[in-house]
Amino acid sequence: MPVLWILAIVLVVALVGFVLGRQRALSSGQGDIRNLHSLPSYYGYNAALFGLVPAVLVLAVWTVVQPLVVQNSVIDLIPESAVEDAGNLSLVMSDVRRVADGLDVAVAEGAMSAEMAASLRTDFTDVRTRLGNVGVALGSDVTQDTLRVAQRYRELTASGNVLKTIVVLGLSLGLTGLALLRTSAQFRARNVVEQGVLLLLLAAACIAILTTLGIVLSLIFNTIEFFQLYRWTDFFFGTTWSPSFGGGSELGIIPLLWGTLYISLIALLVAVPIGLFSAVYLSEYASPRFRSIAKPLLEVLAGIPTIVYGLFALLTVGPLLVSVFGDNGTLGLGWMQGGTAVMTAGLVMGIMLIPFVSSLSDDIINAVPQAMRDGSLGLGATHSETVRQVILPAALPGIVGAILLAASRAIGETMIVVLGAGAAARLDLNPFEAMTTVTAKIVSQLTGDTDFTSPEALVAFALGMTLFVITLGLNVFALYIVRKYREQYE
Amino acid sequence: MDDLRLVERDVDTQDIKIAARKVQVFYGDTHAIRDVDVDILDKTVTAFIGPSGCGKSTFLRCLNRMNDTIDVARVEGDIHLDGEDIYDAKVDPVQLRAKVGMVFQKPNPFPKSIYDNVAYGPKIHGLAKNKAELDEIVETALRRAALWDEAKDRLDEPGTGLSGGQQQRLCIARAVATEPEVLLMDEPCSALDPIATAQVEELIDELRQNYAVVIVTHSMQQAARVSQKTAFFHLGYLVEYDETGKIFTNPEDSRTESYISGKIG
Repeated sequence: MPVLWILAIVLVVALVGFVLGRQRALSSGQGDIRNLHSLPSYYGYNAALFGLVPAVLVLAVWTVVQPLVVQNSVIDLIPESAVEDAGNLSLVMSDVRRVADGLDVAVAEGAMSAEMAASLRTDFTDVRTRLGNVGVALGSDVTQDTLRVAQRYRELTASGNVLKTIVVLGLSLGLTGLALLRTSAQFRARNVVEQGVLLLLLAAACIAILTTLGIVLSLIFNTIEFFQLYRWTDFFFGTTWSPSFGGGSELGIIPLLWGTLYISLIALLVAVPIGLFSAVYLSEYASPRFRSIAKPLLEVLAGIPTIVYGLFALLTVGPLLVSVFGDNGTLGLGWMQGGTAVMTAGLVMGIMLIPFVSSLSDDIINAVPQAMRDGSLGLGATHSETVRQVILPAALPGIVGAILLAASRAIGETMIVVLGAGAAARLDLNPFEAMTTVTAKIVSQLTGDTDFTSPEALVAFALGMTLFVITLGLNVFALYIVRKYREQYE
Repeated sequence: MDDLRLVERDVDTQDIKIAARKVQVFYGDTHAIRDVDVDILDKTVTAFIGPSGCGKSTFLRCLNRMNDTIDVARVEGDIHLDGEDIYDAKVDPVQLRAKVGMVFQKPNPFPKSIYDNVAYGPKIHGLAKNKAELDEIVETALRRAALWDEAKDRLDEPGTGLSGGQQQRLCIARAVATEPEVLLMDEPCSALDPIATAQVEELIDELRQNYAVVIVTHSMQQAARVSQKTAFFHLGYLVEYDETGKIFTNPEDSRTESYISGKIG
């Protein structure tokens, strides 16, 4: 039975459970709600939750786990020779799965009977043509071994599906029945339902945490694999980045880190003053009318996809900078050779970060109590003295936190760099030179055909891990500062 | 009213410090203060009493033009400080507020050190030529606010770390340090416990030696304890203004009598 059907049936069971639970509770309270411990709907929800949640959870886990189990149990059937022919066990398995799926399609379309699919032999039937007739294209002729494994695969999957249906529906019905049995006027349905909802909330939180953990673990394992192929001292202290998939590449992170930090620095030099000043203006001086127009407009900047910023850098800012600082530029300095440069990416990234800095700082400045302003004004300070000497110092930790959060965004930014800063990894002080960043190199190492056993591809994980550690450190530091600030007023 | 400890009622001087005539305050369309005439005497504690929302705080904030910071507030009428119209176009509200200091309902020390809190006003107004003078101003102000002994060893610690009563005295020291001529206090004890209240009240009585003090209070006992003159506000009107002893023992207006005997308010 397809998963969707099982799900639908479980839903119906839960719905019926709700209605029955509600009725049962009402009748056990002689029709008077005041005799019940909880409102009647709680008894309904209780039955519905019992019928729905465990069954759906089991269904989800089973659906994910079953293919893995089936695959493991058929692997033994694959002869060594088949693996050697194909070169790789996973290639054989994908053949097996495709044949098995093809047989399913053939049975479903009526081109084969179920018994026939289960007893096919390559000696008597041209499986490839038969499957081709129902629209399943196979790359090569099907060997008898593959067919046999595929048939076994189908058998196991089919029995697994039956078992799954029985278990899930049984669980749903059984638990609904149990919940209905327990339903009586004294039963504390409200508490049980709230406990259940609490568990659901907890589960949602756990999923978020576990996913993060999974991401980190996958990074760590691949990073460890990389460091087994490449010396970590060469990675962290190497000053040359020249990967070549042919071998003999030098994978030093320093030029990339330098590019990342240089571009981020320029971005922050643009974003922090502009963002901070606009926040001060908007929160302290602007009329409500101006504020109501300007603040949403500023936040539109935050909604622009970074690829659009990248285009802006490539097509507008780059050529503009060249026309000023380039060889034949208006200043005649000849500092800039091409449109892609640290300056181009830094400026555009700075623009992207303005709303980030300004809207966080704006919130923080607004959170400074009005009593501070009154106190300062009451002592005969002007508005700007109040802003400079009372409000900004009071908001400073929060503003520093906002800037650090902006910095970690700048460090992780990719698209603007790919389009605006070029691809040359170099150590240079000239901001009008093309450089590149860690993120841009991760992209270039992993695009196209990659073989995940070479250090040239695995280095991407080491780069990602380094970046992750840096931004994590910045975020933790920022949150620490922001929290310290909060303690002052609450 | 036997529980009232009535302090000596001698008004030391009859010099008029602030004269208000026909003052009207509007918040948008709300007419918050109507036709208030009052003369506030120098070196005297004047108490404003009245039920919540009667306009006493609003009127207090007119005296140093703090209402200017509220967009919708509009003030009409004349308020003269030493004979000069404080709403005149050539008066800078910032300068005025240096002369008319204010202490607020909730202690609001800046998130700076105790020293910097007190030195804030003198620094802004350039009252000290050098560090030594500034130190002296800070010490004098803290002594006047009866906080010196508690704070002298921790001048570098944040003002927000003091207790509520100490914070309020710090705010008074901060206001005193700018050497104002008038000190406005908007319910300065409403966030304090009885012991801290007693300390602040004692302080107010001492401040009378140098300043005209105007205090808004919800507590009639407090008004009776600290003030020489009392003004009773009701629904935006100044109902009665007289010597404190007279207001509390022999009020002329029946509304005043009802309020102080607890019938309205």
